[in-house]
Amino acid sequence: MTATTMGSEEAQSHSMNFSVLGSSAPVLAPRVGKLALASRKTLSTPHYVPLTSRGTVPHIAHDMVRKATAINSLYIGLEDFITRKAPAPVYKIPVTDEESRLRKFIAAAPDVPLIMAPRRFPAIPCPPNNTDTSIAILTSVGFRQLEAQQYLDSIRMLKPDIAIGFADLVYGKTPGVKRRGKMVDRTHAYTQDALQKLYGASVAEEERSKAAYFAPVLPLENTQQSLYLEDLEYEFHDRLSGLALYESASLGFIPEALGDLPRLVLSEPSSPHDLLRDISLGGDLLTLPFVGECSDAGIALEFSFPAPSGAHYQREPRALGIDLWGSEHAKDVSTLSEGCECYTCRNHHRAYINHLLNAKEMTAWALLQMHNYHVMDLFFADVRGSIQRGTFDEDVQLFNRAYVSTLPERTGEGPRLRGYQLSSGPNKRAPKVYGRLDDVSQKFAKSQSSVATPDTDASGLEHHGFAKKVR
Amino acid sequence: MSTTTKPASKAMPSALTLHRHAKCSTTKARASTLDLPHGSVPLPVFMPVATQASLKGLSYDQLRDTGCMLCLNNTYHLGLKPGQEVLDAVGGAHKLQGWDRNLLTDSGGISGLTRVVMAMQFSDGISLEIGHRYRRRLLTPEHSISLQNSIGSDIIMQLDDVIATTSPDHARIKEAMDRSVRWLDRCIDAHKHPESQNLFCIIQGGLDLELRRQCCAEMVARDTPGIAIGGLSGGEAKEEFCKVVDTCTGLLPEHKPRYVMGVGYPEDIIVAVALGADMFDCVWPTRTARFGNAIVSTGTLNLRNSIYANDHTPIEEGCTCACCRPADQGGLGVTKSYMHHVTAKETVGAHLLTVHNVHYMLNLMGAARQAIIEDQYPAFIRKFFSDIYQGDKSQYPEWAVGALRGVGMDLLED
Repeated sequence: MTATTMGSEEAQSHSMNFSVLGSSAPVLAPRVGKLALASRKTLSTPHYVPLTSRGTVPHIAHDMVRKATAINSLYIGLEDFITRKAPAPVYKIPVTDEESRLRKFIAAAPDVPLIMAPRRFPAIPCPPNNTDTSIAILTSVGFRQLEAQQYLDSIRMLKPDIAIGFADLVYGKTPGVKRRGKMVDRTHAYTQDALQKLYGASVAEEERSKAAYFAPVLPLENTQQSLYLEDLEYEFHDRLSGLALYESASLGFIPEALGDLPRLVLSEPSSPHDLLRDISLGGDLLTLPFVGECSDAGIALEFSFPAPSGAHYQREPRALGIDLWGSEHAKDVSTLSEGCECYTCRNHHRAYINHLLNAKEMTAWALLQMHNYHVMDLFFADVRGSIQRGTFDEDVQLFNRAYVSTLPERTGEGPRLRGYQLSSGPNKRAPKVYGRLDDVSQKFAKSQSSVATPDTDASGLEHHGFAKKVR
Repeated sequence: MSTTTKPASKAMPSALTLHRHAKCSTTKARASTLDLPHGSVPLPVFMPVATQASLKGLSYDQLRDTGCMLCLNNTYHLGLKPGQEVLDAVGGAHKLQGWDRNLLTDSGGISGLTRVVMAMQFSDGISLEIGHRYRRRLLTPEHSISLQNSIGSDIIMQLDDVIATTSPDHARIKEAMDRSVRWLDRCIDAHKHPESQNLFCIIQGGLDLELRRQCCAEMVARDTPGIAIGGLSGGEAKEEFCKVVDTCTGLLPEHKPRYVMGVGYPEDIIVAVALGADMFDCVWPTRTARFGNAIVSTGTLNLRNSIYANDHTPIEEGCTCACCRPADQGGLGVTKSYMHHVTAKETVGAHLLTVHNVHYMLNLMGAARQAIIEDQYPAFIRKFFSDIYQGDKSQYPEWAVGALRGVGMDLLED
């Protein structure tokens, strides 16, 4: 196999090298690649990136991560480390010249690639606004502004292997037209400034950051950020190592000239089906919040790609996982999924997990998390094999027929959530008490259309609840 | 009612062997090895408590890594969840939790006197008001043993009548002791697997040394494979606690393991070892870990305290646990600053500190055992107290000084 795309001649000046295997098109097609970082584990893509919380893979202690999982990269949000008093402890841990402070502080294995972003993923909406030089973040001691300059300093001081650039994002609501323009302008400015200060011509050769920079692609339509994308393509390309996409739809319009860059998709696929769609559009690194959510909910994933053995005989599509809260598992000494060789299944059975969930023991989540990540390891390995064989499209269809399209419903309780772990989704800690204003805000949201001037007349506006017709 | 000294109503086979290696030439400390059905346990030993068949987030590989050969499950909890029916179906607690080393279970009564249940003693059993189910159950000796037979633990405890040692009601204490002896006979009769599970009797008698002596005589005559000293660590003065342990160990046969129930602070254990006890259990080291407290040779460190936010040294320098061992020695190289960062915020913070604390306790017991074998135990105790109190002898607890003087050792001597 040969590296065919244009990026293979070390276009990235940093210690990272991404090569696409086979002859797949640079964009809009599933592809298999290798992402190699100096003295780190090489990632075979497509691959998932485990999400961390405060430097830990939730529920799996560091020694178990190393011994009992195949976890080979970590996504880390800098906001988890910002404290009330500056500088935060992570900046002060003593290291040798080559060592990464971040790696040493979180006690990560020496060969695991560390991917640092300003915010956790999924990020929690922050009431304060972003500014031209900073973005709002949520730390464990409340909301703060993270200055762009501080983030750049952090990249230098903490030495992650990959740094995801600043983006002006709007969480939890659809940005209006003006806001969207501002998002693009600011993100453009952040990126330009970062590349200049980290790798610019004015920076001495040995002073240049060794971190590979992934530029954000905004969760907006192609047309709205075309100028930014053009600059990524023509002006910034040689200093970029990858792209961080905040929604999978962006995979649809990555310029061909940027096709050599690895694409990290920061989306929240609701099921493996979504995930396969992202991969089919050319996603290389993917985030899977559903893995942790399933573990917390007591659900053991149970699916394989393209389909389980004996799938031909089944009439109904299979479930994607089993809810171990159910009393039918109380005496079941079989493995979580048939033939599974993960740490959990090698050592334990459904009855034990069922007992631990009922007893609210932390071990339940640890064991489920290890199992669920193992299922994803096999899934991604099979996906890569399928792409290489050229049977991916048929295999996806097979998978879609073999399994139901949604993960099992959550029935049981999960671990206690901390403020910074809450998402604004349905699993909010407490229900909203004040609902009076919701009606108005809904009407307001409806009134927000994608163009500046409403393409309706006064009666239409009145119908939308936006304004009252006079006269 | 009075009890008579009589041999056990049925012959008592033993599923354990105690190999005694050394005895301290000054104190009553002993070093031995206890062979149990699921492996050999070096004594003296600390047994971590996996209440509900899980050691608070740790995998059993992590527990094995700390060197643990014997841990506890609680009969009361396992009887509620998953319940006897499931235990029978799965084939016992070892199979339930995937633990191939030894297990010890308590009787399911009200050990430690801390459980949030209303308990009343009747002549034929303990009525437990099970808080969250609002259901009353009568726990009889037969039921307790049957449950522990289903659990299949290597060491099972008799059902005993525990009342607070601080109780002023002498008649009630005497009654509880007599009842415990009677219940022991019923436990022995009900025990279905004496060839694979070792039944331990539990010496009762409150703080009354005369009652304790009587109880020792009664229970030793029943020849159980091991002997526990119960009813302690319920808030009594440490002096009283030491007197009871000292009195009991003086009357117990040398060739049987002695288990002091619910004792867990390092100082208490180190002194109790000098008084001739072999086995200890307590939830404190694992519970305090979840609150962010690390046990170290100088005491405990509350790692949530902001003074540790920028302390980039291991939890304890030189500790060989998986967390503290530096990266170049195959450890994780976890620092106090990182523990401060995750403790009480991530479940992993609890896991890591639990690993450290369990390792600390087992390591402490290992070091004590080595000192006994080398006949250096008094020096070991002096160093241990000196580390905790930074050599300031005026700070040494009087109970410890007194108790050790009672076994021929002057803690204050250089």
